[in-house]
Amino acid sequence: MKILKLEYLKLKKKTRSWLGPILVFWLIMIAYPLTVEFLQDKLEIGFFSVLWIAILISMMLATEDIFIEDYNDGTLEQIVIKNSSFQFLISMRIVMYWLMIGIPVSVLSFIFTLGTSEDLVLSLSIIPLSMISSYIFLNLFVLGNALSLNKGSLLGALLTMPLALPVLIVLGKSLISIQLGINFLEFILLLLGCLSIIIIVVPIIVSYIIKAHLE
Amino acid sequence: MIKKFIHQFASPKTYLFQVNRFYSFIFYFSLVIYIFSITWGLLLTPEDFVQGNSFRIIYLHVPASFLSQSLYLAMGIASIVYLVWRVKLAAYLIIAIAPIGAMTTFIALISGSIWGIPTWGTWWQWDARITSTLILFIMYLGLISLHNSFSNHEKADKLLSWLVIVGAVNIPIIKKSVDWWSTLHQSASITLTEKPSIDPSMLYPLIGSIIGFFGLIICLVLISSKHQILIREKTKSWIKDYV
Repeated sequence: MKILKLEYLKLKKKTRSWLGPILVFWLIMIAYPLTVEFLQDKLEIGFFSVLWIAILISMMLATEDIFIEDYNDGTLEQIVIKNSSFQFLISMRIVMYWLMIGIPVSVLSFIFTLGTSEDLVLSLSIIPLSMISSYIFLNLFVLGNALSLNKGSLLGALLTMPLALPVLIVLGKSLISIQLGINFLEFILLLLGCLSIIIIVVPIIVSYIIKAHLE
Repeated sequence: MIKKFIHQFASPKTYLFQVNRFYSFIFYFSLVIYIFSITWGLLLTPEDFVQGNSFRIIYLHVPASFLSQSLYLAMGIASIVYLVWRVKLAAYLIIAIAPIGAMTTFIALISGSIWGIPTWGTWWQWDARITSTLILFIMYLGLISLHNSFSNHEKADKLLSWLVIVGAVNIPIIKKSVDWWSTLHQSASITLTEKPSIDPSMLYPLIGSIIGFFGLIICLVLISSKHQILIREKTKSWIKDYV
């Protein structure tokens, strides 16, 4: 709890880091209707594709400087030396980023879906999907950023973006099943299964990668 | 005895000398098998009942697809060996294999697209098998760019190994994609557990082409790994004697 509070205070100070991705998400979703005709049925055609891509991009931006400041000022080195559970600290940092960025983005996803589809059931179904997918994307981009720690976040994003593509495919399929009235819980369970593996594996691998950078 | 052999072989010096001993044999043997199988498949095998002559691209497409995944698996094993036992040769192999893996995956994608036009009526479809193979291709490119972005080779080797291990999750997805999703791509015709669903007149040249292509790619890996060793060990005294 203490670590989580500390991570919260650190992230809260960096307003650009948490507010920036949310605003980018918002801007993409607002910009989308401007590119198509303002007819409700036309608006819905590509809406969900834009929604998933907007979540992906905002999570990519959110993790841009997740370690670099701590790496440059030597904090990471100190943490590695002192803290025995470095993996736990990484997990907590990801959780905090998710709470501060992933959750607001999911709420915005719900609002935008409701505004576009005018379907409350569909909009409510978007919440768990966007919450789980944003957490998965965060983990993947954290991994990418750890790999390219002092080489720019773009390289990291390019390295882990291919791993995010299957999640996008599952999101697309789950949406079709919601729209067709088929049981979409299987897709949520599939995403949760992936997430449960990623939550454990990614912090462990990231800790080893950061140690390799510090050696 | 085996342990001693592995330890000896894991030394870049021994590896380099062993490669020189076996290279010519593997190359000529594979080349003969591949040319023989390709000739058999292209000229002697009868036309397919449904696909006509277009099916003959399998003698390039199937070996390339098989190799694209096998090479990644080899990289995965080499990564574990490098991270656990710190065997330098394993790290050299990973970076030696990556561009060749990218090339075979590219061949698999292109030959698949060419095959897709007469059989599916489209050269590209975002189905599970094709998309996961494209992801594999991007992974290979990512691995190469990650390694090239670091001047410190040792650090690059470690990071590369970790990324290879993470990316290995894609291999079972590619393999099982045709079973897990309903795709345009056909399911496997040759499996270890079941009788092949392909006619023997097409099967034997296919097996021959896989073996031949495999051998030729192994030769490319050997040359590439030799090149890596010569670059990375250039300061060692034995390299000067070798050159």
